Amino acid sequence: MSGFVLSAQLLCVWVLGSELTFELPDNAKQCFYEDITIGTKCTLEFQVVTGGHYDVDCRLEDPEGATLYKEMKKQYDSFTFTAAKNGTYKFCFSNEFSTFTHKTVYFDFQVGDDPPLFPNENRVTALTQMESACVSIHEALKSVIDYQTHFRLREAQGRSRAEDLNTRVAFWSIGEAIILLVVSISQVVLLRSFFSDRKTTTTRVGS
Amino acid sequence: MMLSAPAAGVLVLLAWIHPGHALYFHIGETEKKCFIEEIPDETMVIGKYRTQLWDKQTSSFLPATPGLGMHVEIKDPETKIILSRQYGSDGRFTFTSHTPGEHQICLHSNSTKIALFAGGKLKVHLDIQVGEHTNNYPEIAAKDKLTELQLRVRQLLDQVEQIQKEQNYQRYREERFRTTSESTNQRVLWWSIAQTLILLVTGIWQMKHLKSFFEAKKLV
Repeated sequence: MSGFVLSAQLLCVWVLGSELTFELPDNAKQCFYEDITIGTKCTLEFQVVTGGHYDVDCRLEDPEGATLYKEMKKQYDSFTFTAAKNGTYKFCFSNEFSTFTHKTVYFDFQVGDDPPLFPNENRVTALTQMESACVSIHEALKSVIDYQTHFRLREAQGRSRAEDLNTRVAFWSIGEAIILLVVSISQVVLLRSFFSDRKTTTTRVGS
Repeated sequence: MMLSAPAAGVLVLLAWIHPGHALYFHIGETEKKCFIEEIPDETMVIGKYRTQLWDKQTSSFLPATPGLGMHVEIKDPETKIILSRQYGSDGRFTFTSHTPGEHQICLHSNSTKIALFAGGKLKVHLDIQVGEHTNNYPEIAAKDKLTELQLRVRQLLDQVEQIQKEQNYQRYREERFRTTSESTNQRVLWWSIAQTLILLVTGIWQMKHLKSFFEAKKLV
């Protein structure tokens, strides 16, 4: 009994979730690794926050190098799998197809379930009604927080596009006004130069 | 497999102290890796990292290397440095945001021995927890002497508080977005009018100037 509880606790130690946002420069590839035990249910979710056409290549490989998931130029995706082997799983984000835009990528890699609130909890007795209500509220709130995160990322995307547009409008408007002035003045100057008073040109009007 | 109670206790204790296997990535010697955390204000962030150096002789990763340190630099949304410290090969850093926005957490190795990992790799395990994930519930239960149900409700309260903070932050960001869009709208309007005026003025000027030029040249 205690052996079972002990091994159950040790199993609980290895379950974690990581959520990171990092910058991926152009022509770069960034890989992350995680050691997963067999039978653990894992979820990988990623979203491109800023940069270029908001797409990235993603690849997930198992310990033997077999590709479990491969998608090119995706903006957002979610992939759930159950670990069939023990070992180091690797997932990579690649921006190698882009020549000059660097991207900000968010990913959330959940391995297993959350650790229990009480470390020496033994689930011999069933949960009371209050406790199971708390558990379902907790799960619902977790999904609310998850939706909020995705909404925040999309809003960041929209806002960065709007700020980009704002600076571009200012830059191009000033540029166009200057070009307009320069072109109109040079047109007049050029036309004047055609009719300038040079003794050699007056006789060559016909040719 | 029946372990004696003290041995079992020690094993469980070791399992909890040892950071376990978090996500890891490889970092070069002079490489700087940065992570962005967009958080509302008054949010606590705890980061834990563990480094392992590749040892060519044993062809494996060493558990810990003395003299190998990581420099952690944290910038707030106004790119002001709020934390810039050197930690050992295992470190734990924590900060609380005072302004909402994008905080940048940068790590780079600062080894005291030169060419410590010439041709080798450095494996960095990283775990960043934000907001209510930073709460250590078993510790809170022990400190405040809460029953299981009270602890669960406390966890729900923390989660709801985080949702509320995030909603507040969302309102602030939407306001910024709206100001940017309105500014773009105004700019497009005024610059279009200005450019049309410039066009008309230069056109009229050109006609007048050329007319007077040709009249002077006696061509018209």
